[in-house]
Amino acid sequence: MFFRNLTLFRFPSSLDLSDLESQLGECALKPVGPLELSSRGFVPPFGQHGDALSHGLHDALWLTVGGEDKLLPGAVVNDLLQKKLAAIEEKEGRKPGGRTRKRLKDELITELLPRAFVRPVRSDALLDTTLGVVAVDTSSRKNAESVVSEIRRALGSFPALPLNAETAPRAILTGWIAGDPLPDGLSLGDECELRDPTDSGAVVKIQRMELVGDEIAKHLEAGKQATRLALVLDDHVSFVLGEDLVVRKLKLLDGAVDQLESTDRDDVAAELDARFALMAGEFKRLFAVLEKAFKLSKAT
Amino acid sequence: MFDGGAFAPRGAVRLSRPEGRSYNSGMRSLFRLLSPSRTAPKPPVVQRDRIPFVLADGHHIEILRVRDPRARRIKLSFDERGARLSLPLRASLVAGERFLHEHRDWLTAQFTAQTEHAGNGLQRDATAALPLRGEAVPLHWQGSRATRLDFDAGGTLVFGAPASAGNAALQRALRDFYEAQGRADVGRWLPKYIAGLPRTPRRIVFKRTSTLWGSLAPDGSLALDLSLVLARPSAFEYVLVHELCHLLHADHSRRFWREVERRFPDWRDERSYFNREGRALKTRLRTLLAG
Repeated sequence: MFFRNLTLFRFPSSLDLSDLESQLGECALKPVGPLELSSRGFVPPFGQHGDALSHGLHDALWLTVGGEDKLLPGAVVNDLLQKKLAAIEEKEGRKPGGRTRKRLKDELITELLPRAFVRPVRSDALLDTTLGVVAVDTSSRKNAESVVSEIRRALGSFPALPLNAETAPRAILTGWIAGDPLPDGLSLGDECELRDPTDSGAVVKIQRMELVGDEIAKHLEAGKQATRLALVLDDHVSFVLGEDLVVRKLKLLDGAVDQLESTDRDDVAAELDARFALMAGEFKRLFAVLEKAFKLSKAT
Repeated sequence: MFDGGAFAPRGAVRLSRPEGRSYNSGMRSLFRLLSPSRTAPKPPVVQRDRIPFVLADGHHIEILRVRDPRARRIKLSFDERGARLSLPLRASLVAGERFLHEHRDWLTAQFTAQTEHAGNGLQRDATAALPLRGEAVPLHWQGSRATRLDFDAGGTLVFGAPASAGNAALQRALRDFYEAQGRADVGRWLPKYIAGLPRTPRRIVFKRTSTLWGSLAPDGSLALDLSLVLARPSAFEYVLVHELCHLLHADHSRRFWREVERRFPDWRDERSYFNREGRALKTRLRTLLAG
């Protein structure tokens, strides 16, 4: 269950979450209806290995927004529509108008929806109530916002704001490649993206290469700036940080996973609990570093 | 949406409504069959060109001449982007030029005022101060491996750039710096005003707008003009409050202004400030970021 991406939001750490389980229960996932395109709601984070809609450990909460999306490709609808239109034209000797076309399309969708495949989707979120941070396991801002919206729907009020850096992330990332001291515990990885500051300027993507050297220096001297940078925290976590402050390619390294392997694993639920504990601990350390380096605003 | 009341709002140019929309479908089909080209006549389009002009003080400038189907009369305007002459379809080019000459003195006065506001563009080692939060902050230049503008540990504003970094890189660093400063201000003020709002802004972006100071999209995206960072902090704070109040009322009704008044009682002073200084702020930012 380790998160692979983190899109972060801040919320007031004073938020009352004491009645969370019952609030989530009112917004639990309902199966998508025969004439619905999709449905969203909370599902147990442990999947089939637990019933609770949230899992808490100290100040960390694990919520999961599940969903069901109907798969109804536009091409299938259009193809059937064309056939119907052609049949009407042949029968009546005239092309059906726009209104008829729309009515036929609606009828087709109504006819096809109950037979469409249902694709299950799942998005996990970690809430650190002490830091006042929500980390959604996605790199898509749209998906992350939909998860936050679901939490807001369940709680009634959830004043979560996107991360607000009080310093230019691009300048910080560029400075780290250029030789500025990195925060304690942080070291450069082997991947970065450099961009020319002009609109539609050159983009250099570097992977599996040491980020200290003449090649990089030349790009920086030409004025290029880092928009993505791979970093490693204490040999425990590796990730790629973008100028949008989205954490991508998050990976727990051996230094962290070793701790997990030494724990007893009686059942799946216990293992998931242990993994979440590890994840929440590493996230807390990672966020503390990012918060200081990028001067992230608090929500209170 | 807050435009400060300083500039006349300008909407996007839209093409006119296709003709024949009001006829029923049978009549339309008949017309289409009878029409030799079987296509609707193209609506007149906006035509733009630039014409040279000599001001009363001898300065040579270029004026954007726009023949706009929506224009009802000849209009001459001047903003941080320069002079613009709008002509309705029926007006002749000669009438437009005559109009320009009749208003040469007004144009000269506008140009002189704008030149005073604009100052000089960003120049390596030459720009000694940058406008920020209503003040001119002294700037120090130094060589560096990467282009970066920020306050150092001692609170001095330092622009570090490699010798080979071009103007675009310097301007981008300046833009990033202003945006970061704007975000710092917003981050400081926002928690104070969030309580009592039905929802939070979905995201906050800084843009360079020509007439507006801020806007709130229906999806909750809050856009702020980057030149607010150059304004005095209370004015910037007022625009933020103004846009946040649109989360309560998506209009400028009395109920909306009551919410603004409750949260920011001195809003009238700030609006007057924008009326006085607005154009100068936008012009200054445009000059700095355009080189």
